Amino acid sequence: MYGGDEVSAIVIDLGSHTCKAGYAGEDAPKAVFPTVVGSIDQMDVDDMTSNEKNIAVDSKNNVKDSEKGKGKRKLFVGSQALGFRRDHMEVLSPFKDGIVADWDIVDSIWDHAFRECLLIDPKEHPMLLAEPSSNSQQQRERTAELMFEKYTAPALFLAKNAVLTSFASGRATSLVVDSGGGSTTITPVHDGYVIQKAVAFSPIGGELLTDCLMKSLESKGVMIKPRYSFKRKEIQPGVFQTVDIDIPNTTDSYKLYSQRVIASDIKECVCRAPDTPYDEGSYSNIPMTPYELPDGQTIEIGADRFKIPDILFNPSLVQTIPGMDNFVEIAPSVRGLPQMVIESINKCDVDIRRELFSSILLAGGTASMQQLKERLEKDLLEESPQAARVKVLASGNATERRFSVWIGGSILASLGSFQQMWLSKSEYEEHGASYVQRKCP
Amino acid sequence: MANAASGMAVDDECKIKFLELKAKRNYRFIIFKIESQQVVIEKLGSPEETYEEFAASLPADECRYAVFDYDFTTNENCQKSKIFFIAWSPDTSRVRSKMVYASSKDRFKRELDGIQVELQATDPSEMSFDIIKSRAL
Repeated sequence: MYGGDEVSAIVIDLGSHTCKAGYAGEDAPKAVFPTVVGSIDQMDVDDMTSNEKNIAVDSKNNVKDSEKGKGKRKLFVGSQALGFRRDHMEVLSPFKDGIVADWDIVDSIWDHAFRECLLIDPKEHPMLLAEPSSNSQQQRERTAELMFEKYTAPALFLAKNAVLTSFASGRATSLVVDSGGGSTTITPVHDGYVIQKAVAFSPIGGELLTDCLMKSLESKGVMIKPRYSFKRKEIQPGVFQTVDIDIPNTTDSYKLYSQRVIASDIKECVCRAPDTPYDEGSYSNIPMTPYELPDGQTIEIGADRFKIPDILFNPSLVQTIPGMDNFVEIAPSVRGLPQMVIESINKCDVDIRRELFSSILLAGGTASMQQLKERLEKDLLEESPQAARVKVLASGNATERRFSVWIGGSILASLGSFQQMWLSKSEYEEHGASYVQRKCP
Repeated sequence: MANAASGMAVDDECKIKFLELKAKRNYRFIIFKIESQQVVIEKLGSPEETYEEFAASLPADECRYAVFDYDFTTNENCQKSKIFFIAWSPDTSRVRSKMVYASSKDRFKRELDGIQVELQATDPSEMSFDIIKSRAL
């Protein structure tokens, strides 16, 4: 049992899009940064010609703190390090299909969170990590190994995302609809237990919507210029001149990353879920909304404002967007949000269905989309059984909605009574990594 | 054990009074709260008190647990009673208190042996007398 009297736990929620890290007991995470990292193969660096050395030296001064030698490649973590363009830097994500595939990257992200963002020594702080409900036993043991062996953390706890969200809303039983960056997961929680067989998963998340918006704009002739690709200066008061810069060694993945940053801002500014299913005809005449791109050009967005969010409800819309071909293969198997909710509830025991229908919780970044809650409630009312009392809930507070998982973990880890629940380092040493299954079921 | 349980202790008095409610029937309801890291009794209701008086005893913006002993007559004119467990977690309460009560509920409920119906309520409409009546059947 971990017996420290000072509760100074660290809470980390590593999402598919952003990593949230901070001190337990606080209202919001201290550090929020992208889950993707920049990576440069060291081979390439050695081959660099002398005129590129300047840039290399320059970049070292800028981001010395956040870079990390990793054998053959160098990883750059954090929005600042990623904001700086480097030759041959690829942007990589540790996740593949919602599961951690590259532990080196996870390691570098944790390290960045501890040493650069929170400025703590992981040896001195218990760690509460939020994990997806679908995490396998192997993944959990790997997490425990890394935390205890490499960071020598004094104690660890793995809490399930959906359970934390549910508890933070005051419910031990609920249906958690977590629409994040990389995916949407629907998880029924009953008395604090995840009903695994009824968990529903779809690859449609904020990032896919961002990509759709970008492709749709491209098909209309709007090219989003990444910030590094131009210089903009004021030649006379009020008059700006934009000069394109040609940078040949930029990787495609970095270009995409930079464009996504802009496109996701457009999405957050103008998009809202339509009240009824989207159809081309009735939305063709709606007023355009202007948006000014970083390079100064102003674009007008019309029907896409409603069409893009409607993909959550009707995934087949993706096929109508030019350039989204790679998605078409999986599209037929993906269902819309209301269907997923109903399917998931129907997989649960009859006795708890009523309760699940009346406490559907919206969480995650994409759930902050305007009108999403109202639309989901409306669609569910139409499709659910008569007797069901449908209620979709989302915290009115945007921070709480976006960070519900982290906030739940923060409160839990700071409770005096919780201190007996940790998996301590000595327990780990005595029983091995598989003990994590016992302590954090 | 549920995932992410808080590990909150339960005062023995809670179990004793609950047994009295169940066996001796000398209370109509009991309201529990969490204080200094354990679940303790906040209020005991005498058998004469009504459901309205019980509902009025729950604070409007703080979480509580409660048990209510509901007497009713079935369609076959048969006298029956059922013990309700209510997790009261109003939307207006603080996140911290919602989290504490929700993560301690599973453990606490296990200590009270003999609960027949369970409700979670976040506003008064979710624990109206009509709902109690319909769930008792």
